[in-house]
Amino acid sequence: MLETKNLGRTFTSDSVKYEVLKDISLQIAKGESVAIVGKSGSGKSTLMHILACLDEPTNGTVAFEGRDYGSLSERERDKLRNRKFGFVFQQFFLNGRDTVFDNIVLPMRIRGLDESRIREAATGALVSVGLDDKAMKRAKDLSGGEKQRVCIARALVGDPDVIFADEPTGNLDSKTSGTIEDLILTLNREKGITVVVVTHDEDLASRCGRTINLKDGRIVANDTQGEHGEAGE
Amino acid sequence: MKIWDLAKTANRNLFRAKLRTFLTVMAIFVGAFTLCMTNGIGDGLKAYVETQVKSIEGNRILFVRKKLPAELEDQMQSKGPVEYKAATKDEEGNTIDPNTMMVTVDQMDSLRKRLPGVRSITPAFPVRSEYITMEGARKYQVGLGMLSEGIEQKLEAGSMFDGTNQVILPIHLARAFDEKVENLVGKTVILAYKFGEEGELKDRKLKIVGIATKGMIANLNGFVDAATAREIYKEQMSEAPNYNMFQSFTVQLERQDDGLLKSTKDKLDKMGFVALSIADIEKRTYDAIGILQVGLNLFALVALLAASFGIINTLVIAVLERTKEIGLQKALGMGRFRVFLLFALESILIGFWGALLGIVSAVAVGTIANTVLAKTYFESFEGFNLFAFRPLALGAVMLLVCLVAFLAGVMPAVRASRLNPIEALRYE
Ligand SMILES: Nc1ncnc2c1ncn2[C@@H]1O[C@H](COP(=O)(O)OP(=O)(O)O)[C@@H](O)[C@H]1O
Ligand SMILES: [Mg+2]
Repeated sequence: MLETKNLGRTFTSDSVKYEVLKDISLQIAKGESVAIVGKSGSGKSTLMHILACLDEPTNGTVAFEGRDYGSLSERERDKLRNRKFGFVFQQFFLNGRDTVFDNIVLPMRIRGLDESRIREAATGALVSVGLDDKAMKRAKDLSGGEKQRVCIARALVGDPDVIFADEPTGNLDSKTSGTIEDLILTLNREKGITVVVVTHDEDLASRCGRTINLKDGRIVANDTQGEHGEAGE
Repeated sequence: MKIWDLAKTANRNLFRAKLRTFLTVMAIFVGAFTLCMTNGIGDGLKAYVETQVKSIEGNRILFVRKKLPAELEDQMQSKGPVEYKAATKDEEGNTIDPNTMMVTVDQMDSLRKRLPGVRSITPAFPVRSEYITMEGARKYQVGLGMLSEGIEQKLEAGSMFDGTNQVILPIHLARAFDEKVENLVGKTVILAYKFGEEGELKDRKLKIVGIATKGMIANLNGFVDAATAREIYKEQMSEAPNYNMFQSFTVQLERQDDGLLKSTKDKLDKMGFVALSIADIEKRTYDAIGILQVGLNLFALVALLAASFGIINTLVIAVLERTKEIGLQKALGMGRFRVFLLFALESILIGFWGALLGIVSAVAVGTIANTVLAKTYFESFEGFNLFAFRPLALGAVMLLVCLVAFLAGVMPAVRASRLNPIEALRYE
């Protein structure tokens, strides 16, 4: 469903080139749960951004369902992200002064749906993350774990094919992290949503179907769980 | 995003930064308020002049005077000395003296013969009256003018002249005789005026045919018909050295005809006269007020321009402050144009609220000022409102302010629309 071929990404700042991603070729099938792990600065987020059509590769290609991102117009790229992808970020990016409801429905509003459809979808998403009683609370009044659940609801509300999560448990204590992990993996299992999660968290990585290990912008391991022993070399 | 959702979001964003929005709206408010007031003064003057000018009508009348020597010579710009021109005789044997502004009645008569379609040419014979009275009433001073045939004075009661020894009374005087002014029509007044060298008083009975509506001249002045004015003038002035010499006169056409009016004007121009119809005079007055109004409005526009920098400032700060929010919106698929629209709408809304406040306050302040001024300063100018607010003008102010606000918002809105979502989300 997601596929990259010889993907590379170079940043140039002050005319110095940083090759952040090198020759990445990978495939992610529908319904998979994939963890991207690696040290800080190894290029995990950059890879996720390119997969999610937020950033463009310097070399190579990325495609979603066979459509090369390079062939899409800006409008089509916006539409792709809005309809097919959901996003969860480490720093939440919630609008503290807005209600939980208003935060969640943002992708639907951007899509331009009718208020009744929006309400319906929001209710479903809120129930899925167990926040249906907090819809009218202001986002800033929630705990960290609740905030991240709001973010998951926002990622979920548009009925996406893929959810991209960048260190979703990075700002949470271990107990709340557990609930968030459960939530994300339940969505993967029960709704068949493909999950791509960037994480430091060994525990979360081990619960995903596959782990892609990056080191200095290269894939050093691409293991399906249970094959650990074989990929050692 | 739907436009309506965008507008709601824009309004909510504005209300979030309450103080900042309020201050920016206040700046716009000052500009819009000033613009409404300056434009209101112009419209007030126009409306007043209109009621004044419109109290006299006549579309077959030309007011005529001789051109100045400088106008004849086309020497308006050259500052050099003007050469002396001796008087000549025209084909009728009348003296044409380019050095005087005076025109004699005889010259007017010969002019009439040379102008086809002209029924009469008369000067405004001046009448110097002592007092006017009615049986059983007091004596009042009154200024009397002559109304040429063809000029229609707007009347409160009665009708225009249809014979001689007739008078139209100014409304204030008429009220002194009888509060119900319509009762006066058909009654007789006695006019007393000096005549002859000794200046003894002479009475003349005049029939009241009409009561003039309020107006600049008609507030104080009464009118007599042309023939009566001429008779009294003759009685009073026949011994004077400049008897039957006038600086201006009126031309009455035989019929109302715009083509004839125009051709007569052109002919008079060639003969060395300046001729103005009532419509010309109205236009000149309106043009003058129009220029004054534009001048006043320019001051208000400067205030508005200053306020528009406030909008730019506010929005630039908003874009910086909301960089992450914009980044998120773009990441979630909001297009460039929608982001632009969102900020443009915020900008227009600032303009809208400022203009609304400005317009409402201007109308309130103007209306109060009008009532206060009417009782104090402008008591003698009946029907004069310093501020006039036309809905169309107020609508134009609203549109203009919103347009200025939009233009002010373009730069910040473009900046917002160009933000790169990843960099925006990374932004510390
Ligand atoms: N826009 C950018 N300009 C310059 N360097 C960048 C940019 N984005 C990322 N980088 C660099 O790329 C490297 C990888 O970043 P990132 O993908 O965020 O790593 P990770 O998520 O694995 O910690 C880092 O060294 C980072 O400084
Ligand atoms: Mg990262």
